[in-house]
Order: sequence, then structure tokens, then C-alpha cells
Amino acid sequence: MSNQIIFHSGALDEKDGSLIQMGNKCKNCGKTSYPAVELCPFCSSENVERVSLSTVGTLFSFSVTRVPVGHYKPPIIGGYIDLPEGTRVFGQIHAKVEDVKTGMKVKVETGVIWTEKDGTEVLGYYYVPCKEESGGTK
Amino acid sequence: MLGIGQTIFGKHGSLTVNDLGAAAALAAVKDAEISPKEFQTAYCGTLYSPPTPIQSILIRLGVDRIPMYNVENACASGSSAVHLLYRDIALGACDVGIALGVESLSAFNRKFGKGLIAIEGDLQGKLALTMPSFFAMLCNRLMEKRGATIEDICYPSVKNHKAGMNNPYSQYKKEVTVEEIMASPMIADPITILQCCPQSDGAAAIILCSGEYYKKHSKKVYRAPVKIAGSSISVSGAEDSSYDPLALQAMIKGAKDACEMAGVDAQKDLDVVELHDAFSGEEMAAYEMLGLCNPGEGVAFARSRAVELGGRCPVNPSGGLLSMGHPLGASGVRVVNDITKQLWGEAGANQVVGAKVGMAQMLGGVLTSIESAVVAGIQILTK
Repeated sequence: MSNQIIFHSGALDEKDGSLIQMGNKCKNCGKTSYPAVELCPFCSSENVERVSLSTVGTLFSFSVTRVPVGHYKPPIIGGYIDLPEGTRVFGQIHAKVEDVKTGMKVKVETGVIWTEKDGTEVLGYYYVPCKEESGGTK
Repeated sequence: MLGIGQTIFGKHGSLTVNDLGAAAALAAVKDAEISPKEFQTAYCGTLYSPPTPIQSILIRLGVDRIPMYNVENACASGSSAVHLLYRDIALGACDVGIALGVESLSAFNRKFGKGLIAIEGDLQGKLALTMPSFFAMLCNRLMEKRGATIEDICYPSVKNHKAGMNNPYSQYKKEVTVEEIMASPMIADPITILQCCPQSDGAAAIILCSGEYYKKHSKKVYRAPVKIAGSSISVSGAEDSSYDPLALQAMIKGAKDACEMAGVDAQKDLDVVELHDAFSGEEMAAYEMLGLCNPGEGVAFARSRAVELGGRCPVNPSGGLLSMGHPLGASGVRVVNDITKQLWGEAGANQVVGAKVGMAQMLGGVLTSIESAVVAGIQILTK
């Protein structure tokens, strides 16, 4: 079995055999931040608890990159996803370019996002469109 | 402002950072007509230079044994060097000093390879967020929320390439049309390569002094005295879903603070602006954030031709980053040079007639090791 690593320290936690995004919910200001850092980045409070992020969000804005970036081949769809708890997360959207619209509902998935030359599989998150029709501008 | 100097911006693959920096520093010294031995302190803004560039540069001019600092603040590095020198003089810690900005992206590329720069260790960078993809989202917001068309998005690039034709220091001397811009290779929809600033090598320097020092040592009596009347370095914070990239708080607050400090009303008093147009759409989004017009009215402001030579407040009459080039650390000093030239009446074919008040702005960040950190550096110059 090939070696697997997570793309960014603290970006994904393992829970019940699957990978999930965990952030910090601040008990002082109420905001949820991701990825988790030392203190609440909004109010500096230490009084935070680890929470799992919502798995469905709304696409705030996106762009389609037409040139290769690092390990990724074009077209690369990247966007900001707003979660119901008010957190904005950057991620790639795995979909056909023509199916992506701002305001659409997207759902998080995890999996291999690239493979290193030595065969190491790098695990990360990305978003896919929810089945329901939603959103506005393409 | 006692003197200014810069190199031509462009590809200088055979020159080192120290060669470029020394050329700009020497040009500023000649312009100021003082001995470099007069400097009491020195600052250098740069991102990717070898360690201690300011020391290595100034020793070539015989300057040593004074406090020297190298500062890094992304594309606002040069602005930060200017700000710190200004602060030292304004607070009375010294009378005269030099602020320099320098970068060799040719040297950077030789070391790290060409391509879109992503920052090591950044979560968003690892997921392929690049400068063009971030600003592509900004363009998409402009089209969605402000009614901007592709022509509007391309307009700053057309305007600035035209202005760069008359600038002896600019990297490009070529006009472009909207059609040529949109026919050039797509980087991140709708940003094509001709909406992006180039990679550049170059340096710029200013020599600042106190009012008293100026009275004693200024030899160019024909020049109206130009001063920095307001200066701010402003940093963004953590973002949630209420954040709007069309209302970058670092930029809005930085411009407001610098204008208040100078006693300047951005809409009424500013005669000329030099700003960070790394992408054409970025300039379009900046008009309202800098307060040149009301929030939400940037596109209409541009369509009124207010930002062209002859308009209410010309923006980037130098040609901007899009045509001048963008040696990262140098640009924050270069914009101060260009505003100074405008106020001195020495801007040649791109002179804004009667310019008395100007703004120099740089925006840096987005792709750093912390999330979406943005820093805005803004100086208001008056005569």
C-alpha cells in the first residue's frame, strides 16, 4: 500500500475512518476559523473548541486558471466557499467549468489531490456541486 | 524630498541586486546634490534579495557605520522603507536619510524557476490560489456587483500602456487595444497575459530630509518644495463570509488615514495617483477603495475618463506596473518618485498640469504563510 500524507498540517483530521475539516469555534466572539491556529484570529481569545466544519456551503466567488500551477493541470477551478457558520474556506471545485456558478451549493469531499514522484499520495479536500440546481452567474 | 533616482525597469539579467540598487542610490545622490556621507539612516524594501542588500549597496557609495534596515512587506516593501524613513525624520530622530527599493526577478527565476509564484507552506497556495486567480475573482466580482464589462476590466491596461510610451524608465513601449488584450493567452478568466504586469528588475531611491535640512542644503531652488504630508502602513485581518474583496479594509483604512493625516479630501484635492496595478482589474477596483469616488462608483468614474491625463485625477500617468514593470520591492519607492516628479513639474510628456497633491499607493500580500494577509502602503505628497 502506498504512503499517504495530508497536504497541509492541521487541515484535515481523521474521524471514524474518514477525513474531516476541523476548525476552531470561539466561545468569546462566536466565529469559527479554519484552519485552526493558536488563538481565535478574530478576537485573540484562547477560549476555543475544536469543531467539525459544515460540509455544504455556498460558492462566494471563483476563478478558472488556464495554466498549470504546481501539481495541478488546467483548467483549475478555485473558489471561496461560505459555510453556514460564517467561515469562508478556499478550495478547488471539481466540476465542469460550464456547471460552476457563484451562489451555487457545493459539498466538501476528500481524496488524493496529487501524487508525489516517489508514489506518496497527498490527501486533501475539494468541493463538488450539490445535485440541486442553485446559483447565479457563470 | 531632496532627491530621487531610479534605474530603467525591465530585464537586467546581467546586473545584480547590488548593481541595480547602487545605480538608483547614486542617481538620487546626484539629484539631491549632497554627499552620501550626509545620510544618517537608510532603509531598503525588497522581497527576494540576498541578505543585507542596503549595506552592500551603500558601501559602494562610501556609506557605512549608520543604522541601516532591510524591510519586507510584500509589494508594499518599498512603501514601508519610505514610511519608516519618513517616520524617523518626522519624529526628529534624524535629519536626512535614504529609502531604497530593489528587486531582481531575473535572479529569483534563475534560483527558483519561472512561473506563477506560490508561497511555500500556504494552505491556499497549495490548493493553487495564485495572484492571477485571486484577482480573477476580484474581476468577476466587479462584473457581477459593479456592472463592469470586459472593456472596463481592460481599460486600465490600455490607458497605462499608452502612458508608458512616454516614460523613458518603462519596461514596455507598446500600446495595446482591448482586442489585443483579450486575444492574448488566458491566465485565469477573465485575466489574460496583457492584463498582468510583467516580471521586472530594477531599483528606485529617494532622499528625504527635515524642513530645516532642506532650507540649508537644497540646491535646486527652481523646484517647489515637496513633502510627505501623510503616510500609512495598514494591514488586513482574519476574514469571514462578510468580507468583500471589492472593499479591502487595509486599502480603505490606509487611504483614509493617510488623507486625514495630510488634511486632504481624496475626491476633491488629489490631482494625481500612482497605484499598484499588478492586474488591470485591480486598478479598476482601487478607485473607489482609495476614495477617488464614492463606493460602488469606480466603473462610472473610469468611464467618465477622470483617471486619464486631462481628467479629474489621472491614475498611473507613469504607465503603472502594467507598462513600467514591477520589480516588487522597488515599486513602492518608484511610485513616490513619480508623484514627486509630478509635483515638481518634471514628469515630461505625462505631466499633470498644475499637480499639487498626489497619492502613492502599493498593495501587497494575498499569498503568504498566513491566510490572505494584505498590506497597503500609502503616502500623500504635497507642495
